[in-house]
Amino acid sequence: MKRILGAALGILTAIGGFVDIGDLVTNAVVGSRFGLSLVWVVLLGVVGICLFANMSGRVAAVSGRATFEVIRERLGPRAAGANLVASFAINLLTLTAEVGGIALALHLVSSVEPRLWIPVAALAVWLVLWRTKFQIMENVAGLLGLLLIGFAVALFLLGPDWGELVRQVTQPSVPQSESPAVYWFYAIALFGAAMTPYEVFFFSSGAVEEGWKAKDLAQNRVNVLVGFPLGGLLSVAIAATAAVVLLPAGIEVSSLSQIVLPVAAAGGTLLLAAVIIGIFAATFGAALETSLSSGYTLAQFFGWSWGKFRRPARAARFHLTLIVSLVVAVAVLMTSVDPIAVTEMSVVFSAVALPLTYVPILVVANDPEYMGRHVNGRVMNALGGVYLVVIVVAALAAIPLMIATGAGS
Amino acid sequence: MTRAGRSTRIVDARLHLLSRQVLDDHGEPVAVVDDLELVAPDASQSPAPGSPARIGAVLCGPSLVTRLFGGRPPASRRARIEWDDVERLGTTLELRVRADSLDVGWAERWVRDRMIGRIPGGQHDPEASS
Repeated sequence: MKRILGAALGILTAIGGFVDIGDLVTNAVVGSRFGLSLVWVVLLGVVGICLFANMSGRVAAVSGRATFEVIRERLGPRAAGANLVASFAINLLTLTAEVGGIALALHLVSSVEPRLWIPVAALAVWLVLWRTKFQIMENVAGLLGLLLIGFAVALFLLGPDWGELVRQVTQPSVPQSESPAVYWFYAIALFGAAMTPYEVFFFSSGAVEEGWKAKDLAQNRVNVLVGFPLGGLLSVAIAATAAVVLLPAGIEVSSLSQIVLPVAAAGGTLLLAAVIIGIFAATFGAALETSLSSGYTLAQFFGWSWGKFRRPARAARFHLTLIVSLVVAVAVLMTSVDPIAVTEMSVVFSAVALPLTYVPILVVANDPEYMGRHVNGRVMNALGGVYLVVIVVAALAAIPLMIATGAGS
Repeated sequence: MTRAGRSTRIVDARLHLLSRQVLDDHGEPVAVVDDLELVAPDASQSPAPGSPARIGAVLCGPSLVTRLFGGRPPASRRARIEWDDVERLGTTLELRVRADSLDVGWAERWVRDRMIGRIPGGQHDPEASS
């Protein structure tokens, strides 16, 4: 019984933890402009994150080595150092977006200016990082994040033309009002949102935090292969509500209140409240994960003691990194930069950084010195190879498309 | 590069030693192998190119800068872990001593004693039940 409960909990937190501010904003923007014609990208991203989360989790469980230790060891100090600078900067950008997301969610329920909420949100994130047990932190954020199912409920209440929605999914085409370049730009943004590199840093380091061994691999596989696709369905539901309500009305998403507008229209105050709590939990959980990831990457590159499972004093530089990252995120947000704009930036640059994380993982997952008999099988490597091509193409195309389309405007 | 009484294994320093994680005897991360200090087998001699050499110490910290940008740090600035303190070499380098007893741990101790340890709750064990 305890095992079944544990398994259910793992799957549920994987679903609730899948969506972050990047998924939320990008899916709503895409839904409001392209309908459901980009759902295939979410599918591609979900399969990709399943593949690489599974692989990095397996490397961490079998070898006990987290992703950035592997990157440092494989690439050497120079290439890994360049990788660290890029990964750390993009992770910081994502963290900034998540903290901004928490503040926006609090702003929606309180109508207190977001900039007053930003320091409060960051302080709350730090207190959880400082005090709470790793597993409790993961489970609470993941379970509350499940309230985002409110988007799916709203979709049913809206009673859309299902045949039309299915047609948009199965026969994707660029809407007449949009140019193909913009369509592909948003395809890459959506891919970056689904596969953000921090998830791999966090997933592999989390496996070390929770002390996974090779025998936990089956459970890990189930969590990933069931939880992430269902989390992906939440992403699609967000895009679908935007496609049903915002697209016909010609509303382009530029704020969180527009993202939840379809929910309010369909389900009233109660459903709106549930969804806002869901958004709060999802962004809060992702803020915890990204701030931890900033500590993980830096500490693992330099070989510092790290981990939330240690007393803070036993991982002093790691905890100092968490504090400094949160302070930087707050400082950036206090310039009254728009968190939604920061989010859109962060998902595009995530797509640019994907190969930096995924290539070393793929290499080490094939190294018998680390993996013993748990090295990648043929199917895994074939899929990994295909995704490698997709990831590299997306990374190379991201910046030129961003310039050519003026970031999708 | 193996210790007496163990089976001999050929190790490529660049592939199997450099940039590996160093753990202390409790499995706590200490540093990364940033560079190696090579000495002559006989302590009285100075090492010369072409002659046999053994590893005297693992270098950490400041040696990363010279690995990145070239050059050689002065001997007085080297952060060393004596090779005699090494217990085992696998995918990590395991030491037979505690991190706190090593000179290379000073930065971690400085941050602990001056900053993180002073914040209330800094000694709290997050895995404790309460």
